[in-house]
Amino acid sequence: MERIPILRLRDCLLVTIQVDMHDQLALTLQDDLTELIVRHQARGVLIDISALEIVDSFIGRMLSNIAAMARILDAVTVVVGMRPAVAITLVELGLEMPGVRTALNVDAGMRLIERALEEERQAGHGRSKG
Amino acid sequence: MELLTTTIRNEADVVTVRQRARQLAAMLGFDTQDQTRISTAVSEVARNAQAYAGGGKARFGLNLDGEHPLFSVEISDQGPGIPNLQSILDGQYVSSTGMGIGLMGVRRLMDDFAIDTGPKGTKLRLVKHLPRHVRPPSPREIGALVGRLAQESGPRIEDELYQQNQEILRNLEELRRRQEDLRSLNAELEETNRGVVALYAELEDKAEQLRRAHELKTRFMSHIGHEFRTPVNAILALARMLLDRMDGPLTEEQERQVGFIQKAAGDLGGLVDDLLDLARVEAGKTPLEIAPVAIEELFGTLRGIIKPLLRGDAVALHVDPAPPGLEMTTDESKLSQILRNFLSNAVKFTEKGEIRLSLSLDGGQVIFTVRDSGIGIPEENLETVFEEFSQVRNPLQRQAKGTGLGLSLSRKLAALLGGEVWAESRLGEGSAFHLRLPLHHPSIPPVQAEEEEETHPAVPAPALDEAPILIVDDDPAARYVLRQILLAENRVVAEAGSADEAREWLDQRPPCLIFLDLVMGTGIDGFQFLAELKRNAATAAIPVIVCTSQSLDDSDLQRLTAATAILPKKDVRRDTVAGLLQTIFPKGAAS
Repeated sequence: MERIPILRLRDCLLVTIQVDMHDQLALTLQDDLTELIVRHQARGVLIDISALEIVDSFIGRMLSNIAAMARILDAVTVVVGMRPAVAITLVELGLEMPGVRTALNVDAGMRLIERALEEERQAGHGRSKG
Repeated sequence: MELLTTTIRNEADVVTVRQRARQLAAMLGFDTQDQTRISTAVSEVARNAQAYAGGGKARFGLNLDGEHPLFSVEISDQGPGIPNLQSILDGQYVSSTGMGIGLMGVRRLMDDFAIDTGPKGTKLRLVKHLPRHVRPPSPREIGALVGRLAQESGPRIEDELYQQNQEILRNLEELRRRQEDLRSLNAELEETNRGVVALYAELEDKAEQLRRAHELKTRFMSHIGHEFRTPVNAILALARMLLDRMDGPLTEEQERQVGFIQKAAGDLGGLVDDLLDLARVEAGKTPLEIAPVAIEELFGTLRGIIKPLLRGDAVALHVDPAPPGLEMTTDESKLSQILRNFLSNAVKFTEKGEIRLSLSLDGGQVIFTVRDSGIGIPEENLETVFEEFSQVRNPLQRQAKGTGLGLSLSRKLAALLGGEVWAESRLGEGSAFHLRLPLHHPSIPPVQAEEEEETHPAVPAPALDEAPILIVDDDPAARYVLRQILLAENRVVAEAGSADEAREWLDQRPPCLIFLDLVMGTGIDGFQFLAELKRNAATAAIPVIVCTSQSLDDSDLQRLTAATAILPKKDVRRDTVAGLLQTIFPKGAAS
C-alpha cells in the first residue's frame, strides 16, 4: 500500500507531501502520524504542502484533524509552504482550519515549533524531557 | 464541444479528474489561481459522486458559441440523489466529510453552478468563463490539446494496481466461497457416509437373519430326515424278517404284500436319503473325498446300475466308450450320484427310443451328457427343474415316482465339485442333461484317514457266555428287530430304552456286548453314554457297536473312535449282525 513517508527530525516529525493525495492516502497519513507521534514522543509535526497544487475540503479537513489530534497528544502542528493560489482558494471555499498553524517555509516552521514549545515550558506545563 | 470524458470509480479517479481539470484549464489559458479554483471545485464535486453515488462520469466541454466562451465540467452519477439539497445550499447542513462546505464553496469558486438531483442520480454543471484577454483556442488547437490529454490518460500504474488488487480480492473471496462449499460438501458426504454405514449394518443384520433362517431350514430338514429314517428302517428290517421266514412260513399272498411293503419303504428311504443329502450339502457338511477316478470303470458301474431299471426293450441304453485310461481327480461317489440322477431321470421320462451317456473333453474340463428321446421339458421349465420339489406336469409324471430332489441335489453336488449342470430340451423329442466338471478338482486331495471301524482289531472274546448282549435304544421297533436277529443267533439279549436303564443292567448283569443307539429321547445321548462307558474301568472293556440311523460327519466319527464298530440301521440284517458277532467273538460259539 502506498504511503506518504514521515521523517523524524530530533523530537519533530517531518512530512513532505509530494503527490496529489487521494482520500484514502490522506487518511492513512493521518493514522501514521498519530501513531508515530506516540511512538517517538514527538513534540512537533511539520507538514510541507509546497508541492500540492490544490487543497480541497477533504484535505483541508484532514490537515485540521491532524493538528487537533497532535494537540491532544501534546504536539504542535505547523503546515508550511502553502501556495498562494491554494490559500486563496481555501478562503473562497470557506474552509477554516482551526488549530493549524502555518509558516511560509520549513525553516520558519521549525522556528515556530521551537518557539511554541519554549512558551509551553515557560508556562510550566507540557512534558518534561527525560 | 466536448473535450474529454473521464470515469470516476474510486478515490484515485477523483485525483485524476481534478488533475485533468487543472491541465485543461491551463491549456485553455486560465491563470494559476483559476486553475486551482477549477480543480478544487471539480475535486469537491467528483468526491461527492464517488463517495455518495459510488462513481460517475466527468465530462469536460468548451462552448465558444456564446458571447463569452465557457469552460464547463459536467459531473453526473446514478446515486440516490441529494435529499437535503436546499439546506446544504442555505449553509445549514454540516457534514462530517465537509460536503456542505464543498457544495457552497464550489458555488463561490465557479462562475456558474447548476444542480439537478433526484432519486435516479445527480447532475452538476460547473461553468467558468474563459479569461477575456486570452484568445480562445481554435478547433485545431483544441483537437491537438485533447489528443495530448488522451495520450496522457492511458492506464495508470495505480489504476492497474487497483484493478489487480480488486481481482485478487475477488479471487480470495471466490476461494473462500469454494472452501466453504467444499466444507459443506464434505459435511454432506460425511452424513451420507454415516447413512451408508448404517445401511450396511442393517444389511449385515438382514444377511445374518437370512443365514440363520437358512440354517434353521437345513437343521429342520436334517432332523425330519432322521426322524423319518428311523421308522423306515424299522419297517424295512421287519419286512425283511418276515420275508426271511424268521417267524414261520408266509403264504404266497402274504409274501407279495410284504414285498410291496418292503418296496414302498425302500422308496421312502430313498427319498429320505436324498433329503438328508441335500440338507448336508446345504449345511456345507459334505466332506469331499477327492481321489483319482477311472472313468471307464465308472461308466461300467453306471451301466450295471441303470440297466435293470429299463422297462422292456422299448428303451435302449447306450454308454459311449470313454477315452481309454481317462482319469479324473474328483469325488467319485458324488460324480456317480449326479450321473445316476441324470440317468434314472431319463429312464423315468422315456417310453421308447434310447438313452445315451457320453463324454467330451473341453480343455481342462469334462462334459458328461445324458441324452434321451423322452417327453422333453418345456423351455420355460428348463431352469426350474433344478429347483427343489419342482416337477413338470406331463403324462409320464403321474406314472414316474420322483422325489423332485434329484436334480436339485445334482446341481448342488456339481457346484461342490467345482462344476455345473444344465439342461436343454425340445418338447416331445427329448432332453439332454449336461454336467461340466474340471478334469482335476482344484483342491488338494485330503489324506484319506483309514476308517476306524474298518480296521478295528478284533477284541479277544470275553469268556462270558452267560453275559447278555445289551441293546440300548429308545425305539422299541429297532430293539425288536435287533432282538429277533440276536435271538435267532442264539444270543442272550437285554434291552434298555435309555442310558439310565442301561446303567442298571451294567450294575446287575454286565453285558458282553452293547448295541448303542446315538439319539435317544430321554437322558444323555449315545455319544455321552459311550464316553461314560469308556471312562469307567469296569465297563471300558465291553465292546460297543454303535447302531444308528443318523448320517455321521467327520466330527461325529471323531467322537465315536472308542466304538468297536458302527452299524447303520438300514444295514441291520441277519447277515451283517452275524458277521459282526463273528468278528467280535471269533470262536463263533453260541452261548
